[in-house]
Amino acid sequence: MTPLLILTPLILLAALGAVWNARPVHAALLLALALALIAVLYLIIGADFIGLVQFMVYVGAIAVLIVFSLLITRPGDEAEELARRPRSLVTGLACVLPVLAILVYAVSRVVKFPDAPVENPSVSIAQVGQVLFTSYAPAVLTVGVLLTAVMIGAALFARDPGKNPQFPSDS
Amino acid sequence: MTLLENLQHANPALWSPEWLPRLPQRLVEILLQSCGAPDWLVTLAGLFVAAGTVVGVFLSAFALLSLIERKTLARAQNRIGPNRAGWFGILQPVADGIKMLTKEDIVPAKAEWLLHLAAPILIVVPPILALGVIPYGREWVPVRVELGLLFFFAVGTLTELSVFMAGWASGSKFPMLGAMRAISQMVSYELPLMISALGVIMVTGSLSLPAIVAHQAGFHLGFIPAWNLFTPWGLSAGLIFYVASIAEANRCPFDLPEGESEIVAGHMTEYSGFKYALFFMGEYLGLFSIAGLGVTLFLGGWQAPLPGLGLVPSWIWFFAKLAVVIMSYLWIRATFPRVRIDQLMRFAWLCLIPMALLTIPAAAIWHYAGGGVLGWLATVPLLLIPWVVLTVVYNRRLAPTTRSYTFADS
Repeated sequence: MTPLLILTPLILLAALGAVWNARPVHAALLLALALALIAVLYLIIGADFIGLVQFMVYVGAIAVLIVFSLLITRPGDEAEELARRPRSLVTGLACVLPVLAILVYAVSRVVKFPDAPVENPSVSIAQVGQVLFTSYAPAVLTVGVLLTAVMIGAALFARDPGKNPQFPSDS
Repeated sequence: MTLLENLQHANPALWSPEWLPRLPQRLVEILLQSCGAPDWLVTLAGLFVAAGTVVGVFLSAFALLSLIERKTLARAQNRIGPNRAGWFGILQPVADGIKMLTKEDIVPAKAEWLLHLAAPILIVVPPILALGVIPYGREWVPVRVELGLLFFFAVGTLTELSVFMAGWASGSKFPMLGAMRAISQMVSYELPLMISALGVIMVTGSLSLPAIVAHQAGFHLGFIPAWNLFTPWGLSAGLIFYVASIAEANRCPFDLPEGESEIVAGHMTEYSGFKYALFFMGEYLGLFSIAGLGVTLFLGGWQAPLPGLGLVPSWIWFFAKLAVVIMSYLWIRATFPRVRIDQLMRFAWLCLIPMALLTIPAAAIWHYAGGGVLGWLATVPLLLIPWVVLTVVYNRRLAPTTRSYTFADS
């Protein structure tokens, strides 16, 4: 219990820092920190596979992607960003609160907290794979199709219709 | 029990050469046990000593390799190399270390000092963590992790963030460009690296690195070791892994992030003194860890290369294989010129990733055919034909030829 009590405030602090920090790069790095700490949380509660995958996907891929797009796009004036903050706070809350309410409702329906299991459940990676490719196969396939569509779309956007300086033809 | 009795009743194999690398850990554990320390303290102290052993071994290997590399490159270029410090230059790493430690530590005025300081520290962490899960010998596995391979790749992703921090926090143009190059290269080559490891996972049926080594035990026809490299899919995946590991370790010919003639020293430009040395340490430890993983996945880990060599401790075989792989890296560095960034990216996305994806069905077919002649007949055409076709097509049509520059041409 104690590790959780230390870890959760740290995650919250890092996440709040990511939201409130005016400099995009600092915000991105704090977000990466928050995601990494969530991975540690998973490791502590015994969900090794989820924890490592969380680290690999979110810290390794998503955070690097955010950071990389920051490097390429060169974000605009930071003072202007600050001025727009009150409105973005309202819209942000309007987006987040319904999702939070749905999450809390869904979790409270599934888990009755006083009766929640005290022992860490031990799930092997073989079981995860089994469930993922049998009962959740439609979801996995749907995500696969979605990601492929996104990839094709991204490739279409990235392609320069005219002269492509990156990959010249043999001339 | 007294310490002496504890030592006498300890595992009788404790003093055998097989156990030698773990002797410090066992001794500390026995010592603490006879002092009546609680169990968690014994385990914790044992793990600390085990980690210390690994770090000590690889830091000495780093010092040794820096000398061997300079000597080898010098011989390849018809020079003598370092020969002043000590006998045949053997004290050169010590001299280098003292030089690095006594140099002035410069932080640029425009740098963000906290990130600038954190980057060289964070860059050493992932390779050390990754080295902790590799099985070096039959008995020498510093930390047994069930999901070892996943752990290896998960901690490895931290390198990209620390490279970004180094490049961005320096507050200068060359580090930023170098970091962009380094990250795009690492992201692109991490894909074939991971995908080529998938076949091994599928055939072994486990993510645990000791299990992967154990699966490669035995010999075909009495003398060909049953390593993954000696299967059609394993050869293909192993070659892809080898190329991708050179790029992942930022070694020549893929050392674009530090191309001296183009971008000074990439993300390390604004670092000096010991921080600069830490970057090199991280790079070399990363080299050891990725080569060690390659040895574990494809070259049978600590398994002996020929039958009847059981007397030699298994960790000697691991380090012999590691030395061969690293010497091949040196050879490549001495031989090939540096590639261009568009050649690098194109090669990864058009050649390595499709071929790495093909090794997955090949491994599956091999697994269900149960290896043997049937497996060979089914997988060799599946891999060989695309290899040949892709090589021809890539060389004729797809490979970038002349470079044009967006702003310089018009």
